[in-house]
Order: sequence, then C-alpha cells, then structure tokens
Amino acid sequence: MSAHTYKKFENSTSGDLPDKMTIYQDCMNTFNESPVNSKRCRLLISRLLRLLAQGETFPQNEATALFFSISKLFQHQNDSLRQAVYLAIKELSGISEDVLMATSSIMKDVQNGSDLIKPDAIRSLTYVLDESTAFSAERLLKSAVVSRHPSISSAALCTSYHLLPISEVTIRRFTNETQEAVLDLKQFPNQPTNSEYYPNSTYISQYHALGLLYQLKKNDKMALLKLVRHFSENNSLKNQLAKVELVKIVNDLLYRDPQLFNQFRPLLSDWLSNKFESVQLETAKLITSFATRNSRLVAPELYAAAVSALQSLLTVPRVSSRFAALRILNRISMVSPEKIVVCNPELESLINDSNRNISTYAITTLLKTGTSKNISSLISTITNFIHDVSDDFKIIIIDAVRTLSLNFPQEWKSILNFLIDVLKNSEGGFKFKNSIVEALIDIVSFVPQSKELALENLCDFIEDCEFNEILVRILHLLGKEGPSAPNPSLYVRHIYNRVVLENSIIRSAAVVALSKFALTKNDSTLYESIISLLKRIANDKDDEVRDRATIALEFIDSARNKQDVIAQNLIESKYYYDIPSLESKLNSYISSNIDSFATAFDVNQVRKFTEDEMKAINLKRKQEQIFNQKSETTLDTTPEADSIVPEKRADANSFAGPNLDDHQEDLLATKYADELLSIEQIKPFGQLVNSSRAISLTEPEAEFIVRGIKHIFKDNVVLQFNITNTLTDIALDNVSVVCTPEISDEVELEELFTLQVDRLLPSEEAACYVAFKKSDEIVMEGFLNNLTFTTKEINPDTNEPFEGDEGFQDEYEIDSIFLNAGDYVKSSFTGNFSATFDELPCEEIAVFNIQEDLSIQEVVDKIILNSSCLPVESTQFAPSDSNSHTLKLFGKSALTGSKVALQIKMIKSSKGLALKVHGKGEDRLLCSDLVNGLM
Amino acid sequence: MGNIFSSMFDKLWGSNKELRILILGLDGAGKTTILYRLQIGEVVTTKPTIGFNVETLSYKNLKLNVWDLGGQTSIRPYWRCYYADTAAVIFVVDSTDKDRMSTASKELHLMLQEEELQDAALLVFANKQDQPGALSASEVSKELNLVELKDRSWSIVASSAIKGEGITEGLDWLIDVIKEEQL
Repeated sequence: MSAHTYKKFENSTSGDLPDKMTIYQDCMNTFNESPVNSKRCRLLISRLLRLLAQGETFPQNEATALFFSISKLFQHQNDSLRQAVYLAIKELSGISEDVLMATSSIMKDVQNGSDLIKPDAIRSLTYVLDESTAFSAERLLKSAVVSRHPSISSAALCTSYHLLPISEVTIRRFTNETQEAVLDLKQFPNQPTNSEYYPNSTYISQYHALGLLYQLKKNDKMALLKLVRHFSENNSLKNQLAKVELVKIVNDLLYRDPQLFNQFRPLLSDWLSNKFESVQLETAKLITSFATRNSRLVAPELYAAAVSALQSLLTVPRVSSRFAALRILNRISMVSPEKIVVCNPELESLINDSNRNISTYAITTLLKTGTSKNISSLISTITNFIHDVSDDFKIIIIDAVRTLSLNFPQEWKSILNFLIDVLKNSEGGFKFKNSIVEALIDIVSFVPQSKELALENLCDFIEDCEFNEILVRILHLLGKEGPSAPNPSLYVRHIYNRVVLENSIIRSAAVVALSKFALTKNDSTLYESIISLLKRIANDKDDEVRDRATIALEFIDSARNKQDVIAQNLIESKYYYDIPSLESKLNSYISSNIDSFATAFDVNQVRKFTEDEMKAINLKRKQEQIFNQKSETTLDTTPEADSIVPEKRADANSFAGPNLDDHQEDLLATKYADELLSIEQIKPFGQLVNSSRAISLTEPEAEFIVRGIKHIFKDNVVLQFNITNTLTDIALDNVSVVCTPEISDEVELEELFTLQVDRLLPSEEAACYVAFKKSDEIVMEGFLNNLTFTTKEINPDTNEPFEGDEGFQDEYEIDSIFLNAGDYVKSSFTGNFSATFDELPCEEIAVFNIQEDLSIQEVVDKIILNSSCLPVESTQFAPSDSNSHTLKLFGKSALTGSKVALQIKMIKSSKGLALKVHGKGEDRLLCSDLVNGLM
Repeated sequence: MGNIFSSMFDKLWGSNKELRILILGLDGAGKTTILYRLQIGEVVTTKPTIGFNVETLSYKNLKLNVWDLGGQTSIRPYWRCYYADTAAVIFVVDSTDKDRMSTASKELHLMLQEEELQDAALLVFANKQDQPGALSASEVSKELNLVELKDRSWSIVASSAIKGEGITEGLDWLIDVIKEEQL
C-alpha cells in the first residue's frame, strides 16, 4: 500500500489538528525571517507535515508560496532543518509545480552535504527532476550508487528506479554500477562491528539494486536468466526482501516461458526451506499458482512440499506469516481444495485464533476445502462462531457459505438451516442481512428442492424486518417463486399482511407480488381471492399503491378473460430484458429525440432472455467471480504490476479467453450488435439470434490487430472483423477481408456481400463485415481469411495520406475463423440435470481420443467454450488428483429454443485422453452436430 | 544600558544583522562563478543553475546572505519570489553578448520597478572583461540605459570573475552604500 492510500483512511485520533491558516501564516512569517531560527522552523515544518499527512491540502497558490518560503531555508546549514526541508519539498511537490527551483540547491547537497542529509537530498531528486533536467544529475547519481554508505546507495538506487520511466536513457547508463551494488555488502561506517543487538547492516541496498536491475533488464529473457543464476549462487543475497524479489523474478520468467520450470526446480525446492519465512511464502505462492496454470509441469512431490511449507507456517508465532500462509491456502482452496485437505487440523485450530482476520480466513478456507462429508460439522462450528465477530467478517463468511451452496447443491439443507438461523437470530446491520438474503435467493433459484423451506422461512422473517430494501427483495422473490410452489395460498397470506401493516414502498411491492398469484395453476381458487384483495387495495391512500393495484386488476382481467398473451407475459414476467442493451437503447432514444418522441420506443430491438437463460447467465457470472479471484493470484505475483497479460491466441477453434470484465464485455457486445443492425444492408436479415465473443485472429503485437466476431441470423451469418491499425505512419485504404471456405467443394454458405472500411488511419479501429446466406439449419464451416488493403504513407502535417499517392496493394494473412455448432447454442440453466437429461428424446454418442498432452481441466475449459453450454453441478472444475471426470453441460438452441444436454466422461491414461460424449436433445440435428463437432 | 550599548555596537559594526543580496542576470553571465569567487575565492566549474544557490559569507564584519538565482528564461519568472527584504541587487552582464544587451536591459528595468526592491542598491558587473571584444563599462552602461535610473544608488564596475578583477571593488562600493543608507 503506498503512502498516499493509507493516509486517507487513517484516523486523526491523536489530538486535534492545528488550524490550517494559522500554520500557513506562521510558516510564511518564520521562514522569511532573517536570520533563520532553525529550531522554530523545524517545529513548524513538522506541524505542516502533520497537516498534509492527515489529508489536508493547500490551494496551488498557497502551496507555491509555502514552497518558496521553505526554499529560503536552504541558506541555513543545519542538517536537521535540511532533513525537514526535504520532507516538506516531497510533500509539496504534489501540489506546487515550481519545485524545480530547488534543483540546484539539492544537487549541491548531494555533492557536498553530510552523510546525514545526502540520502534525503538524493531521494528528493525524484520529485524535482524531469526529462530535461535528469541528465544533469547523472554523474552525481552514478557516484552515489556505488557509494560505500548503504543509505546513500539505497537512496540513489530508489531515485534511479523512479526516474527510469522519466529519463530512461540516463538511468540505463547505471546498469553496471547497479549490478555491482547488488553484490556489494555495504555496512554502516563508524559502528562497532560486533554489536549483538543492532546488526551492522540490513543490506537493504541489495533489494533496491535488484529491483532497479530487473527494471533495466526486464525485456531481456536471457539476461534475467543469467541474473537469477548469478545471484542465487553462494548465498550472495543477504537481504530477505532481495531474496523475495529474486523469487518474483523467477515467477515472471516462468510466466513468460513455463518450460523453464524444470530448470528452476532444484532452486525452488531449496527456497522452500529457506531460513526466511517470507522467502518460503513467496516460493510456495509461486509453485501453487504456477501449478494452477501448468499442472503438468509441477511434480506432485514439489507441490506437496509447498503445501507442507505453508502448513508449518500456519503454526509460527508471527501473525503476518500465519496470515500470508493462510491467504495462499485460501486461494488454492478455490481451485483445488483437495490438495490442502492435509492442512485441515491446523486450519481448524486457527478458527480460535485471537486475530479475527486469521480466524475468518481459516473458516472460509475450511468451507472451501469442505467435502460433502464434513460440511454439516463445519456449519455447526460456524454457527457457534459467527455471533462473536463483527459485521464485516460475518459478510465474508456468508459469502463463503453462498459459494458452498453453489458448489454443493446437494448439501442445501444444512446450509439453508444455517442461513435461516443467522438471519433470524443474529444481530447485524443492513449489509449483513442483505448478504444473507442474497445467499438465500441464490439457493432458491439454483437449488429448486430448497424452495419450499426457504420461502416459508423468508415469510416468517418479513413479519419482523426493519429494512425496506430487503423486504422488497423478498416480496419480489415470493411473487416470482410462490405461484409455482405446492401451496401458494400460504404466501398470499404473508404478502397481504404486509399490505395491511407496512409503509407505501412495501405495500406497492406487495401488490405486484400478489398479482402474480392470480394466474397460478396449482390453486385456481386463488384467482377470486386475489381479485378481491386487489380491489380492496385499490382504495389505498397512496397513489403508487392504488395505481399498481388498478393496473394489476386490468392485466389479470385481460389475461384471464380475453386470453391476452401480452398481459399474461407481463404478469408472469417470463422474459427478462438485457439490461445493458436496454439502457444504451433508451439513452440513444432520449438523446436523439428526432420527432419529439412521436415514435414510441421499440422494445423489440432489445435482447430478451427467458428465465432459464437468465439463470444461466447469472450462474455463469457468479462462478466466474470465483474464478476471477483465482486468476488474480496469477496476476499479482508477477513482479511488475502493469505487465500486460499476453492475450490468448485463438488457435484451432477455441475462443479467446475472457479478457475484459463481464460488464464491459456485455456493453461491447451490445455496441457491436447495435452497429451491425444499423447497417442498411443488414437490416433485412431481421433479428440477431446470437453473437459470439470476439476472437483474436492475430498476434497481439502484430501490425494490424484483427478480432473476429460471428453473428448468427435466422437465414444469414455475418462475420465481423475489427481491425486496428497500429502503424504510426501508414493509412490503410479499402480494407476488406476475403473469406475462403476451407473445404471449397461443398460450400453451404453463399457469400452475399462484403462491407469494406474506406480508410483506416493510424491507431484507429474499424469493422468490416462479410455476410453470407445460409439455410434454416445449422451450418458449420471454416474460413481462411485474408486481409486486403492499399497502404498509403501519411503526411505528418495533415495527418492524411499524401495527395496523388496511389499506394500499393497488400495482403495480410490472419487466422482462420470457424463456425461451429456451439455458435447456435445459448447456455441455459436446469435445476435437475439428470431428470432433464433422461427426458430428452434424441440421443447421440461419440467417442474422441486426444493424443496431445492436455490436462483434464484444459480439455474441460475448451469444451465449455466450444459448446457455449452452461456447465451444471459445478462440473467445470476437474479434480486434479483424479484421472477421470464427468462434465455436464446444458444449453438451448439460439434458433429454435430446443434443449440440448451433454454428459461427457473423460478418462486420462498414458496414451492420452479418452472422451465419451453422450448428448441428448430435442432437435436431432443440433444434438448430433454439437456432439460430433465438439473437438 | 546593555541594550543601548549593543544597539550602538550593531549600528557601528552591523554585526548580527544579515544582509540579503541577490545576484541576477541572464543565463551564462557568470553569476554562479562570481558567487563562489566571493565565497571561496576560487573559480569553480559550474553548470547552468536550475533554481538557485545560496551562500552565507562574511565580508568586512558583515554577514552577507548571497542568493544566486538561475538566469534561464524558464527561471526568470521566479526571481520575484526572492525579492523580499533585499538590501542590494548585483546584476551581472556578459559584456561580450551584444545581441542580448537589450534583453538584459529589459529584465533589469522590469525588476527595478518592483515595489519590494525600491530601496535596494544596484551594482552592475560588466563581466567577462578578459574576453576579446568585450564592451567597456561605459558602453554597457549606455546599452542598459542606467542613466535613466532615478532615486537609486547604482554603480557599474568592469569585472572578470575568472581573473578575479573588479569583484572586490564593486562589493566594497556596495557595502559602503548599504552601510550609509540602510544601517
């Protein structure tokens, strides 16, 4: 955490803050005095710094005035005052832009100052130098880097590190000096050499030097390899942070080239027993997170050694080590909980740890390692524990329990009982109660068996609930799930109680919930009761409640007596609109306002989902959240925070992994769809049925980056190619993509037209489209793609191509794009897979053998992406300790809505991976296409 | 009684009191060289001053606080931040730089209009006399329009910071004027 972030959250509890203006005035007066009173000035600066540290700021003109008056203190030679001045300059450099005026004075101190102020002077150079002045400090910095004094050397290394992005050329000249500084064990001068209590040096400059060296060499893999080899020998690194940094560098190398792992294996197992706990931790973190990405390369013994290192760290006295070890274990538990089951005894004893962070983490980890056997005993442990912790921890625990319920749907009973117990019996604020209710809603929607019990208890809960928002959510849930429950009249009574007793917000929510019971099939007598209840409510004193009751009556009447389908859909809300696309459509409708809203908003343009599809989307999102937390592990262990994650290239017919976050992805999809549908030639194609995610068709560092998206219409297919021109001086004219079917003799798609991009200027992105006509059925096809264009050189003055430049024709080959059965499928949810599977009429079985050396998890991921189906019963996580796995997938045809279910058994043997795909569906063709085209 | 004595003593010798003196001028005129010539009596190698150098030196029982401000165009606007309580300004001119005489003149007159410098004495060094083609002190004086200055003690001295010529003469004059007018 950087200094800037923690400042804002720190409480100013220690005494009252001095008045800002008083300090300002005092500073201005005292600093401008002649002669300078150093003691008084120092005191004032420390007060000023305290103000700034508490998050106070000065307007720019005052900060500038302060800076200039502080700069006048350079006339006084007192070292302590000078140190204070440097601190003040550092703090003011953020607000005042004139700090460069201190440059000469600082450099003089770097050159001639005492050892006491030299490090401070050097560090403050970071704030005053810019690209144009950095070179003037080159000689000074270079000699400071090689200084025998550890503080001076460290300061110079840190400053160089920070100046690197500002003036790379200058700092690059220090490479040799930095390399020397890593190995140079610097000690403080003038100290007794054999002092027992105060070690002569922490050798921290090794860490700083290594950090800078990494930055200087990070693009050169061979140099980094050499560096690791060089510094891991002979115990040459004494500083513990430097060692940790070395582990991180290894991690970075492995991230770029996993094959190096074998080479580092002895080193890593050596580090696991290092005397520093932090080195052990970092190494264990490296091994375990590397294993989630490349499980084949990590020997089980090494993994076990890492886990046992973590296990022994769970019992060390140092709290931070315990916490860090626990944190890593917790991350492993999200991916492969079975691997850390050995730690369970330690984890269980940590539940009673005096540090609440640790005990909470221990519980959530245990919940994840929980198997169906010990869940109920775990739940009872938490029940005793949860009442003693603060709300924040309670929420974390509830979230963990919620994840548990998604992963172990069969354990719903004990989980549900636990949630209901805490909901009713424990104290807590809105957030806490809300998270419980959210967990309950999840269970109700994804575990249908639990519905009755959960709804009944929620009904009890709303009899005495103080939070409007939660009440409204529960009423909504009752309205949604209640009508299809075995005994709907029970809920009606509870809902009507709310109408009698509560405020208008809740009354209006209750009215909507009530109206949904009118068409219930289980109990036709309810209709009369609902009508009479609603009629009574129609006299309510609140406008909103009355309106809702009246409109509900109207809907019910027309749905029941006139068989109006629209009204029926409205009451039962069978469809859900795609919220991001609805929002953007409404926004553009309001902002365009061509004919003062004479034309009504056309809601048919917005994508609609059925309830099962919506559930599938939500479940996917929730599971991806868990998954994303997991992939964080791999990201933040790379030494460099801003490293770009290499985009997965689309090879064969796999999809690009999700790089953007979900919401952005949704918005992008909506945007693409909007752009597509606004094109004249494409309008006749009708409703867009399905769109794939964007697939990279080039290397991310290529001159032209192309991403392909497949759009399916009822009788057409449109391939969209988004092209980005990364060249700085070339414009592309008449850009189009030529798609050639892979198997040219049996073409099932008839090309209609190509829409080209007229001109693509540097660093612009544009889309060109290729449209095809297809038959009603599912058509699968692969295309070889070629980008064709005319390059023209750019005139830098006008940013347009030179006039009269004819340019020259060029072609650029990009990866193939495949249209497969998965593109016609949308994922969908089913609460009871095996029942649904048995019911489906058509059947198809196929067997595949995969020779490539892939892990089961890799194959699972690929199948899920290829089929676009929803993995159910959390079968998307293959156990890493077993050689077999069964994946269950469920989806619906995007064209007709016919269901399709797949059950895929996988067995891994020495010869490769055997797959048996058992597909069942309503549509024979879709089923067989999906099954046969899976790999 | 002691108070009276010490204040009389101060009046006579000007001890305790520190005098603020600014050295200004265009870039490359020799300001930093003059400052260190005064302080350590030697010629030091200098780099363009980004910001300022400040040194305290004793001269004839007086404590001088000498500020040498950078002369680059980007730094000139900041001069004004250091005008307060200034006893004297030493303006250094590169006598060989005929092209920029008018710029120097403009900067000088602009500076002298400042309220905070109304009481400050002005000493101009026509520096770099060791170089061939250097204008004489009177020529520089004409270029700078020094005669136009009213209500101000000023003097111009031909100097060479490298050889150490003219520096002490100029400073002697300045100290005398300050003692007379301000102490």
